[in-house]
Amino acid sequence: MPPFSQRSIASRLFLSAALWILLILTTAGVLLTAYFRTTTEHAFDERLGVYLRSLVSDVAASGDDPKSEPGEFGDPQFDLVMSGWYWQITRLDSDVKNIRASRSLFAARLPKLQDLGVAQGVGGARSGYAQGPDGRTLRILERQISVGDSGLYLVQVAASTEEMETQIARFELALGVTFVALAAGLLASVAFQVGFGLRPLRQLQMAVGAVRRGEADRIAGEYPEDVAPLADELNLLISANRDVVERARTQVGNLAHALKTPLSVIVNEAGEAQGPLADKVREQTAIMRDQVAWYLDRARAAARAGAIGAATEVAPALGGLMRTFAKIHRDKTIEAAPVPEGARFLGEKQDFEEMVGNLLDNACKWATRDVQIAVARAPAAAGRQALDIVIDDDGPGLPEHLRAEAVRRGRRLDETKPGSGLGLSIVTDLAAAYGGALTLEKSPLGGLRAHLRLPGA
Amino acid sequence: MRLLVVEDDKDLNRQLVTALTQAGYAVDRAFDGEEAAFLGETEPYDAVVLDIGLPKKDGVAVLEAWRKAGKTMPVLILTARDTWSEKVRGFDAGADDYVTKPFHLEEVLARLRALVRRATGHASAELVCGPVRLDTKASRVVVDGAAIKLTSHEYRLLAYLMHHMGRVVSRTEIVEHLYDQDFDRDSNTVEVFVGRLRKKLGADVIQTVRGLGYLIAPPGG
Repeated sequence: MPPFSQRSIASRLFLSAALWILLILTTAGVLLTAYFRTTTEHAFDERLGVYLRSLVSDVAASGDDPKSEPGEFGDPQFDLVMSGWYWQITRLDSDVKNIRASRSLFAARLPKLQDLGVAQGVGGARSGYAQGPDGRTLRILERQISVGDSGLYLVQVAASTEEMETQIARFELALGVTFVALAAGLLASVAFQVGFGLRPLRQLQMAVGAVRRGEADRIAGEYPEDVAPLADELNLLISANRDVVERARTQVGNLAHALKTPLSVIVNEAGEAQGPLADKVREQTAIMRDQVAWYLDRARAAARAGAIGAATEVAPALGGLMRTFAKIHRDKTIEAAPVPEGARFLGEKQDFEEMVGNLLDNACKWATRDVQIAVARAPAAAGRQALDIVIDDDGPGLPEHLRAEAVRRGRRLDETKPGSGLGLSIVTDLAAAYGGALTLEKSPLGGLRAHLRLPGA
Repeated sequence: MRLLVVEDDKDLNRQLVTALTQAGYAVDRAFDGEEAAFLGETEPYDAVVLDIGLPKKDGVAVLEAWRKAGKTMPVLILTARDTWSEKVRGFDAGADDYVTKPFHLEEVLARLRALVRRATGHASAELVCGPVRLDTKASRVVVDGAAIKLTSHEYRLLAYLMHHMGRVVSRTEIVEHLYDQDFDRDSNTVEVFVGRLRKKLGADVIQTVRGLGYLIAPPGG
């Protein structure tokens, strides 16, 4: 089990609420039971008190008259043997054994509370519990009265507590059932509240995930006012991240400029000079040039991988490339089929230009005369859209076994053609970074067909 | 042929100017964008070598300003940023070709030759007029199969006239394209150079069009 500090907010809220609910319900249950017991006891005593007062008045009226019959309550409970309801009058100031009792008591005698050490209550009465002659617990009410010369009597009324205890037990059961149901209901509502209350957080989590996967470029949607600042901060963080990437890219460009100009100077200074020094300089500067190009491309690719959510209109980006290539390769005919209305590449414009530019450049270098480019929308997996960019040339083409080799990183198939040899592998890397792919096929024009698949819309 | 080299790195600028001067061009130099913008708008260059990363004014902005002002001279851009985005930006601003740093001077020379040739409508690196053949690659002149030695000013004058074969070129135009801006110009010296060229190439190669200037007529024309 994880330490409490790592538990989810939901379980924290739920556990603390559950603890409180249990504590409060238990306390309430104990207090209510105690109160009910006191009340029930009081009511029971009231009943017994009525009988006691009646007996007392009987004794006071008749004194020690053996013929008088006290305790005619008209209640059969006192007549049935061992019914649990008893009374007993005991003369205390005479040695004569003078005890009168209810018939229900038969030959048995009630224990005396004053002998059991029960303190005297208000009005000289005592009340308490004692073991009765039938083995049951009795609630006994007793009072000592003095009837002038007629003597000193102890008047007792007793009743079995069974009835009262049953009542209390029934109450406790009902209370228990009610409280358990209440606790269950409260816990369920807490669970619902926690789930409902934390839903914006889960939505936020999904939104952040969508941004990370590049499906969204910012956290959109309405959030409650206590989560909204977090969403805003995250959006700021995302745009700050984008700025960092942009800055890194700019700095890479600056570094390129800073290194390449002195390299040009060194290369040209060595120039046509003869001798080992000049040779060494030429050789090493060539290595430096390749290394700079390679690492700059790596840095650019890394900067790209960090960029989140962007979209590029294909038509204008392709238009710029077409104008450029028309000037660079004046001897080639470059034709572009009409771009589907509103076609977009889900990525940075620079990356689109880099990929398509490298492919076009490669096609133009090898083409005899014609280069064709076509862009089409295609359905991709999971209901997404893809862009298919197909570039054909009428050059010599590439045998099948070399095609896979050509799109591998840093592989230069023909050292005699200008270019760093990074062209196609850079395209492969870039396309892969966007979840796309580059494949080489045989072109219907006779040369090579480069098929670039990119995420699009 | 008169060129402008715009490059903020002093060493690279010197190397370019030296190489281009050796190749027979009159060369002006600029080290920042503002200077370049001013020179390009006021002087009639036959081609410009323009670095993109310039202090004070970006190379692309300089180029855009020139094109907006109606300047059509061919421009070769030098760029360290070899992404296609940069190239598209440069070409859309009006560049005619580009060379990526680090480069060999020969590459710049070859591209410039091609640009100048294309701008004047010539397909071949060798310009021919009757017995005179001018090899723009090697900066050499051959008459009737024999190599002729020319001074740099004589070569420039001949190259300019041959590039604009069939068109009358005024003396002022020649002066503007013959000398770099630091040179103390004197249009009378043009007559001196024409005289020397006639002596070396034959009297009828360069014709004088009275009151207008000079003309090299295309062969058979």
